Parts: sequence; C-alpha cells; structure tokens
Amino acid sequence: MTDIPLTEPLQPTPLGTTHPDAARSDSFVTLPPGVARIATLVGVAGTIVSTFMSWTYTSAFPGDLTVNGYPGGLQVLTLIGAILTGLVALGAFGVKGLTWLVPNRSPNAVLLLAAGTFATTWYAVIAIAQELGGLANLNPGGFVAAVASLVLLVGTLGLPIDRQPLDPSGAEYYELGRLSENGPARGTYRWLRQARLNHGELPVPDPARAPAWVQYLTIVVVAAAGVKVLTYGLATGYTELFIGYLILVVFTLWAFIAAGLTRQFSKITADHRPFAALMGVVAAVAYPFVQNNEHWANLGVNILIFGTVALGLNIVVGLTGLLDLGYVAFLGVGAYAAALVSGSQYSIWSGVEFPFWAAALTGMAASLVFGVLIGAPTLRLRGDYLAIVTLGFGEIFRIAVNNLDGVSGPKVTNGPNGISQIPDLSVFGYNLGDPHQFGSITLGRFANYYLLMLVITVIVVLVFTRASDSRIGRSWIAIREDETAATAMGINGFRVKLIAFALGASLAGLAGTVSAHVTYSVVPNPYQFSGAAPPNSAFLLAAVVLGGMGTVSGPVLGAALLYIVPEKLGFLQRYELFAFGVTLILIMRFRPEGIIPNRRRKLEFHQDEALLPAQQALGDGTAALGKAGA
Amino acid sequence: MHTLPQQLANGLFLGSMYGLIAIGYTMVYGIVQLINFAHGEIFMTGAFGALTVWNCLPDGMNIWAALPLMLIGGAIVSVLIAVGAERFAYRPLRGAPRLAPLITAIGLSLALQQAIFVWYPGADNAKDFPQLGTHPYHLGSIAIQRNDIFLVAAAVVCMVGLAAFVRTSRTGRAMQATAQDPDTAQLMGIDTNRIIVIAFAIGGLFAAVAGVAFGLKYGQITYNMGFQAGLKAFTAAVLGGIGNIYGAMLGGLVLGIAEACATAYIANIPGMHQLGGQGWANVWAFVLLIVVLLVRPQGLLGERVADRA
Amino acid sequence: MTALLEVEDLRVAYGKIEAVKGISFSVEAGQVVTLIGTNGAGKTTTLRTLSGLLKPIGGRVTFDGKVLSRIPPHKIVSLGLAHSPEGRHIFPRLTIEQNLLLGAFLRRDSAGITRDVERAYELFPILGERRKQAAGTLSGGEQQMLAMGRALMSQPKLLMLDEPSMGLSPIMMQKIMSTIVELRSQGTTILLVEQNAQAALSLADHAHVMEIGTIKLSGTGQDLLHDEGVRKTYLGED
Repeated sequence: MTDIPLTEPLQPTPLGTTHPDAARSDSFVTLPPGVARIATLVGVAGTIVSTFMSWTYTSAFPGDLTVNGYPGGLQVLTLIGAILTGLVALGAFGVKGLTWLVPNRSPNAVLLLAAGTFATTWYAVIAIAQELGGLANLNPGGFVAAVASLVLLVGTLGLPIDRQPLDPSGAEYYELGRLSENGPARGTYRWLRQARLNHGELPVPDPARAPAWVQYLTIVVVAAAGVKVLTYGLATGYTELFIGYLILVVFTLWAFIAAGLTRQFSKITADHRPFAALMGVVAAVAYPFVQNNEHWANLGVNILIFGTVALGLNIVVGLTGLLDLGYVAFLGVGAYAAALVSGSQYSIWSGVEFPFWAAALTGMAASLVFGVLIGAPTLRLRGDYLAIVTLGFGEIFRIAVNNLDGVSGPKVTNGPNGISQIPDLSVFGYNLGDPHQFGSITLGRFANYYLLMLVITVIVVLVFTRASDSRIGRSWIAIREDETAATAMGINGFRVKLIAFALGASLAGLAGTVSAHVTYSVVPNPYQFSGAAPPNSAFLLAAVVLGGMGTVSGPVLGAALLYIVPEKLGFLQRYELFAFGVTLILIMRFRPEGIIPNRRRKLEFHQDEALLPAQQALGDGTAALGKAGA
Repeated sequence: MHTLPQQLANGLFLGSMYGLIAIGYTMVYGIVQLINFAHGEIFMTGAFGALTVWNCLPDGMNIWAALPLMLIGGAIVSVLIAVGAERFAYRPLRGAPRLAPLITAIGLSLALQQAIFVWYPGADNAKDFPQLGTHPYHLGSIAIQRNDIFLVAAAVVCMVGLAAFVRTSRTGRAMQATAQDPDTAQLMGIDTNRIIVIAFAIGGLFAAVAGVAFGLKYGQITYNMGFQAGLKAFTAAVLGGIGNIYGAMLGGLVLGIAEACATAYIANIPGMHQLGGQGWANVWAFVLLIVVLLVRPQGLLGERVADRA
Repeated sequence: MTALLEVEDLRVAYGKIEAVKGISFSVEAGQVVTLIGTNGAGKTTTLRTLSGLLKPIGGRVTFDGKVLSRIPPHKIVSLGLAHSPEGRHIFPRLTIEQNLLLGAFLRRDSAGITRDVERAYELFPILGERRKQAAGTLSGGEQQMLAMGRALMSQPKLLMLDEPSMGLSPIMMQKIMSTIVELRSQGTTILLVEQNAQAALSLADHAHVMEIGTIKLSGTGQDLLHDEGVRKTYLGED
C-alpha cells in the first residue's frame, strides 16, 4: 500500500487530453437542454414502472410477463437497463455521488444505455406481438414500456452528444469514388460519418489517485460481476431472453467504454496486474461451483480448450504476424496422439496406456514435430506462402486421418470412425470421470475436466505472457512489424519464426490431449478449415481476430463468444456461418484491432489516427506525451 | 486406361482447370499483393450462375447451343461478385496491415459459400449439371471426353486472349505498370483503381469459365466446391510463380499432371501400395508444392522479389 | 494574370504529425521555381500532395484555374501536371520505350507520341541507343534521364522534378542540370525540388527555402544564392 504515493501524480493528470480539432458536441434531436434531461429521467422512471406491470395476458410467451408487481424474464432486463440508464444519466448530469459512473462526463454513455434499454424493451414487445399474433396480446404495461423507453431514447438523443469531427482530409471523396457531389448517397454517407460517436479521447480522472483498497475492491467487484453476468447469460432458458440479454450486454459494455470506465479499469488492472490475474483465475475456478450444471461445465471445458488453442494461435498470428490457416490440425495431432496412447481398445496400440503427463508430452511432441516439418521449409519464404502451406496441411491432415483406416491407406486412425472409448483421465489418483463431492456441491465429470483444463489454460497464459515480454517476444513483434529491419538488427528471422510456430503448435497439441479425453473419441471431422461449430481453423482465427490480436484476454473472450452465441441461438444454425463470414468482413472494416485492442496493434491499424495521446498516456503517463510530440 | 499418355492427358485437362482459376489469384496478387482467398467461391458462384441460366432455358435445348449463354450467365455472376468484393470489402482496407484483407477474404469466402448453401434452391445437396454427352473421342490409345475438349479449348482461348491483352493493349500496359509500381503508375495518369477492378474482373471471368468446365467434367456442382479447387489453384499459382500469368497456367498443368500420375502410379512403388488412389491425390499435390518451394521458392517462372509486406 | 500554380496555406499530415505546416507559393508559366531545404523539410511531401498522391488536411491548390484538392492523381496528370518522383521510380521490367510510352498514357495522338519519343531520344541520346533494353538495367543517371523523359511525354504545362540529382556522380549531375537549363530555354515551366542548393538556385527564377514544414525564405534564385544565411546553412560556407 505504500507504493501509492509514488505512482500518484502531483497534479490530477487526466488519462487523456482532448484533441482541439476533435471537440464537437451537438444533439441528434433539437430539444431545449432542460427538456432533454427531463425527458430522459421521465423515460427512465416510466420504464422502471412498466416492468412492474403486466405486459401480456397469457403466459404463452416465455418468462411469464403477466404478473403485476413482479418483473419476470425480459422485464428484468428492461428494469436493469432502465436503472443503469438512470444512474448513469444522473452521474452525467453531475449529481454528487454518482459522477464516478461517468468519469468523462460525456452523455454518450447515457445515449448508449438508453438505446440498449430501448432495443431490449422493443424487442420484447415486438416478440410478444409477433409470437402471440398481434398487438392485442399486449397488456397496458407493454404499451407503457414501449412508450416510456421511446421517451427515454428521444430524451437522450436531445442531449449534447460528443461526435466525430468532420473529416477535413476529404478521405470520403476517395471512399465514395464517383458518386455525385451532392446526391442523396453522399448526403447519407456524410450524415453517417458525422453521426459517429467520439468519446475515446475525452479526459478521465486517473484512477491511481483513488485509495488502494478501492482499486482492489473494484477488481474484485468487476470479476464477481463478470461471473454473474456470464452465468446469467448461460442460464437463460429460452432464445428471446438470450437475445435481450445479448442486446443489453453489448450496449452496456459500449456505454462503459463511452463513459471512460473501461479505460479507468484497464489502468487499474495494469497497475495491479498480478492481483487482477489472480482474481481472473479465482472467478474462473468459481465457475463450476456457481454454475453447478454438467451441461454448462461441458460448455466451459470446450470454451477453455478452444480458448487455449486460440491463445496458442495468437502467438503465431498475433505476436509474430504469421498467418496459420490450418492451425486446428495441430489440435488434431495432439488429440490423435493422446488417443493412440490412451489405452482405448480402438487404438492400434490398445495395450499402451500412458499416464496423463506422458500423454500430454506425447501430444505436444507430436504437434511440435509436425509444426517443425511444416514450418522449416516454408518459414524461410514470404509470409503468404505460409498461409497456403498451412491451409494445405490442415486439409491434408483431415484427409490423411480419414484415409488411414486400413482400406484406403495404412491402418492407424480407423478413418471416419475415429478412435473411440477413450478412458477417463486419472490425475494423482483422482478419476476425472467420477463425480466428486465438495461439501454440498458435486463436481461432475465435465466440471473435473474444466478444472484440469483451467490449469492448462493458466500454464498457457503464463507461457504466452512470459514469452511475449521476453527477448524472444520482442523479436516476434519486431518480425511482425518489419522483417527486413528486424533481420538487419541481428534477429535470426527464420529461427525466431520457427520457435513461434513450433511453440504455437505444441500448445495446441497440449490442449488436444485433454480434448481427446473430454469427448471420449477423436474423429477427423472437427479438424477442418471451416464448419458450423468450433473448433475449426476459421473459427480459431476469428477468435483471435475478434477478441484482439496479441492480447491474452482477447482470444479467450473471442472463443467464449464464438462458442456461446451459436449454442444459444440455435435458430440461427442455418445462417450462422453466413453471419459469421459477414461479421469477419465488418470487423476488419470497422474495428480491425478486435474487441480488446492491443495498444501497439491499435496504433498499427489506425495509422491515420496514430499517436493518440490517450493511448500513450494509458501506458506510461506523462513521459509518453512528450514523445508523441517529438 | 492407365497408360502413361492417358494419365498425361488427364492431368492436362485437370491442370487446365487449375490454371484458369489460378490466373485470378495470380493477377490480383500481382497487382495488390492480396491473396483473394474468396476466389474459389467466385469460381463456385460462376458455376451456379451458369446452372441458373441452364435451368431458365427451355427443356430439351441443345447443350452446345446453351453453352455460350451459360458461360455468359456464369461470367456475369462471377465478375459482379469479384468486382463487388474488391469495391466494398478490399478497397477500404488498402493500406491496412496485410492480415486484415486476408481475414476479410476468409470471411467473404465463408459468406459466399453459405449464401449459396442457404438461399440457392436445393444447393444443400449436390446439383446436377448438364452434360455434353458421354461418348469419348479416341486419339490413338487416349480417350478424350467431350467436356475435356471444351476445357482445353477454353483454357487455350482464355490464355491466348489474356496474353494478347496484357502485351498489346493500353490497359494491359497500364496493368504491368501498376503491378510494378502503383504510385508511379498513377503519376502516369493511370487510374489504378480501375486497373485493380479489371484484374478482379478478369479473374472472375476465368473463374466462371473454369466453373462451367468443372460442372461439365464432374456432372455435379456443390456449394463448397470452391474450397478444394481454390486451394489447388492457389497452389498452382504459387508453383508457377505468383504474379506471373504464364506461371499460373504452367503451375496448373504441372500440378494436374503430377496429381494424375501420383494417383495412378504411386501405389506401384514398393511399400507405398496403400498411398495411391484418389484419396491421397491432394496429399501428393501438397508434397509437390513443398518440394518446389524448397528448391525454387519463387516458383517455376517467378522472379525473386523481396517481401513487400 | 494569375499564376499557373498557386499554393495557398497548404497543410499535409502523416497521422497527427504535420509535415507541411501551411506553405504558400506560386509558379508562373515559363518560370523555373525551386524548393530547397534539408531532409525532412517537407519538399517531397509538397510535391506528392500537388500530384494527388497525398491528401492535404488544409489549404488550397489551384492549377491552371482549377482547384486540385479532391482530384485523384490520374486526373491531375491529365490537367497537365507531370511529376518525376524522388528516387526515379522507373518501371524496371519494362523497356525504355515502354516506359516512355507510359508517360504518354493519357494521350491518344499516336503520331505526336512517336514524335515526342524521338524528341526524348534526342534530349537523351543514350536512351535512344538502348530503347529495347529493360529499364532496370540502366545506371542511376540514365534512369533519371528516363524518368525526366517519361514525365515530359505527357506534354505537361508544369514539370515537377523531385531531387533529380540524388545519388548521381558529379558528371551525371552536370548533365541533368544542363538538361533542365535546356528545358527552361524551350519554355518548359518547372518546379524543382533539390538538396543541391547551389545548382538549383543558380538556374531558378524563383526559390523558396523550406525548413521543417514551413517556407523560411523566398526570393529570386540569385538573391538567395548570395544570401548570408542560405550560404551558411545550405551551401556549406562558414
């Protein structure tokens, strides 16, 4: 606790400084300032009240929204959204005691929360009307909710929103090409460009000035809230509730970003990294105990496996900048290797049963060998070649394990039938297949595997962070940024790239060994380039890209999203891959740095907005501001 | 059937198709250094476009008469998709790190595949493609299917036309200039955006021809046929030296012949009797790629250039 | 009469770093105007902005009565503004003749083009001797000649030359400079960017000294050549 005065600046330095050209704030809807604020608060109040009313006559709509005085299902989400909007609005309006909710005092956060509340509420109302066949199925409460949330939205639209400045460079001309100078298309386009919110650079107070206990408490509370929100989402019993949940969570997170809260929080975690990491692990360990359900534990294992493999891929793609399009094959190599030495009667070495540590080493070693075999010839060449060779390798792996069935090829893998009846693991005499009792809580098979996998994930995270902060990690990044320059600095590009590639491969192999046991059997099918469900190479890459290249939490978050969303939105199944493809395109277009941007990476992707004082200041305070000007 | 000349001929036919698709990869790569990963799907949509035209034509129409219309229909679809992809997906990312457009390309590839799968009537199963007739012609001991004649003729026409276009036309010169130095090409008054669009369009056109040829050759088309074919074609482009149009065709032919011969003869090698056959063809194509990259990294006709990334 | 090229308060930035911070100058038809200054002064950035390769963040460029901002580079060429870029940037795998023909890309008068190709060979006989040779095989000085000849092929109203003497032997540099004198005597309007201040100033009608993104000093070439400060800083005299 004594270190606080050292980090505390003499002056209350803002985390970011406003760029003079960037300041532009006006409302979307012209309302007198007082009216906008009153409408906002009235809307909040009305929406809150509406959730205590009955929205529909029948309990045919899931969640039972018929009860007066007791919100249920989607009403709870509307209620949470409205309360959050109200608190944040009061904070933004300067009410003492709540201003900490909106550190940058920008009303953008209020607008975003109001939009989230509005969207959730109207989604609920429309879903009721549509599923039950007409507006007649709505009770007055439903109408009140719809109107009140609309008032709320309009009110916030009347607030002075911080927006993007007009683009002085004329870049829009080049994007639009030959569209007529003042046609409707250009008009719309201009409007859309101007409508973009801008809150990234608004100054927020430095959280390091807060007492240390507040900072620690913040981390604990956020971790606990994270687990709560996640388990709530997983426990949503029906599609409508999950969609409403998704809408609200997305808008709320966006609002927190807009308010500057996430920036403060990331500063806190950066200052207390070991503690934050510990809390992350504690939250993850708590998951099977809180969410005591085998189905969700199973999902948890799979997310961890998928996330761990994505982290391994992140070394290759995110840190070193090598595009590996067949990465899932290394998971497959690990899984098959583990299956072959598992003692399964379908293995060609059915008598061989390695203990877990030996099987894990075997899986890693097998993946490592393949990684070097693929990497050694291609890593000397231009990066594009690696993409095609790894893509080819991924394909070959799948074809080969399909053909190694004794008919089309030598008998090794049983072809499409795969190796099944893989026995459960036993670690230190603790059989992971059996349920175990901890007080009143029973940990089932998947919960056991979840905890085992969590250990492996932690190991991989440690490897990742240690490596990326080390000499070799800096070499990787140097290679990614400019291979020619890096080589000129004396970095042996080939060797460094091969290490990254081989390390990534063996981490995937390690995850593969566990996955073989979790799923009882290994078959060729999951190890393809793209498919409807993770893991496959396209999804792995997407997890890394979506989450944020070069970060630890990004790929894990990306993996979780890519696992949970398809699981929950079953009706999307037919459109899922299509939506997935379109999402990839849109993300690359609008947020190429991913959900959780790596600082360096963000600079790289947004070169035209490069050297943002905000980002410099986030990392190392005032010294960097001087550098930015140099 | 399994004589060497026959295998060579089979490889030539297959290779012509790889070459036609490979041209699209190589032209785009030569000008914007982008692996248009979605090119395999552009090939696939071309085949579906042609099939749509066939289904719209009156029943019992002579296939030879319908073929030009099918080619036009397929070409329109492929070219539109290729140009649209450039305009709306790739162009905004120009100047972004190289990984960004590549990931966009993967997304585009998935989206196109799934769009056909979901919305093209009946495309969740293989769709039958009209046939040119089953009686092969015989040239000595070699049996040649009618569809293979179409394929080779199309490949020759396309290749000769493209070579003439690039060598003699004003746009062709502009293309060469843009590939060598895009900034300076603009200083010459070349609208490089237009050149890039043309490169995508030519790639789309050739892919459509290959798509029709694929349908005629195999009798069926599927929504995911672009992946394998695209992978092979890209391999062919790299084999031949990426960025070089003649290399793309040569790479295609070498790959096709190697594949045909591997399928037929690998099993005769002692100790490898289980590694021949169609199932392993892709494996051998891939092994060939690795070997060529080891021996001649710039590809068969490629020039040694530094990594421009 | 208004100037052929009018630059007013031009500002260009890379990201948030401004490389050109509001410069103004003009070029009259028939003049040779030069921008001199050290590395990083913003000279090349200015030329690249004038030809449209970079987009300005502020200011106004008028060429031959037309405002240039928001016109893409290939259209600017068609207005009569030719740019021979820094580092020559010839097309290495094309022949010399193909390079020259690309310079005339926007022209449709094949007879005129043939005539101008011959004229370029007269100006630079060495190019005429090697017309079918790949341009990448030429020496640095020969490549510079080719770049200049290529820029002239578009029949420009204004020829912009970026560091034509860079990396050349003194003899070759002499040749290039005398070619510029010859072009001037034929009435070609030239905007010349140079680090070799002595040579540039001695043949310029008008000159501007650039320093970290701004114009520090302007005057006729002779004035600046005899200016105390310029002599110290740029001509290496104490």
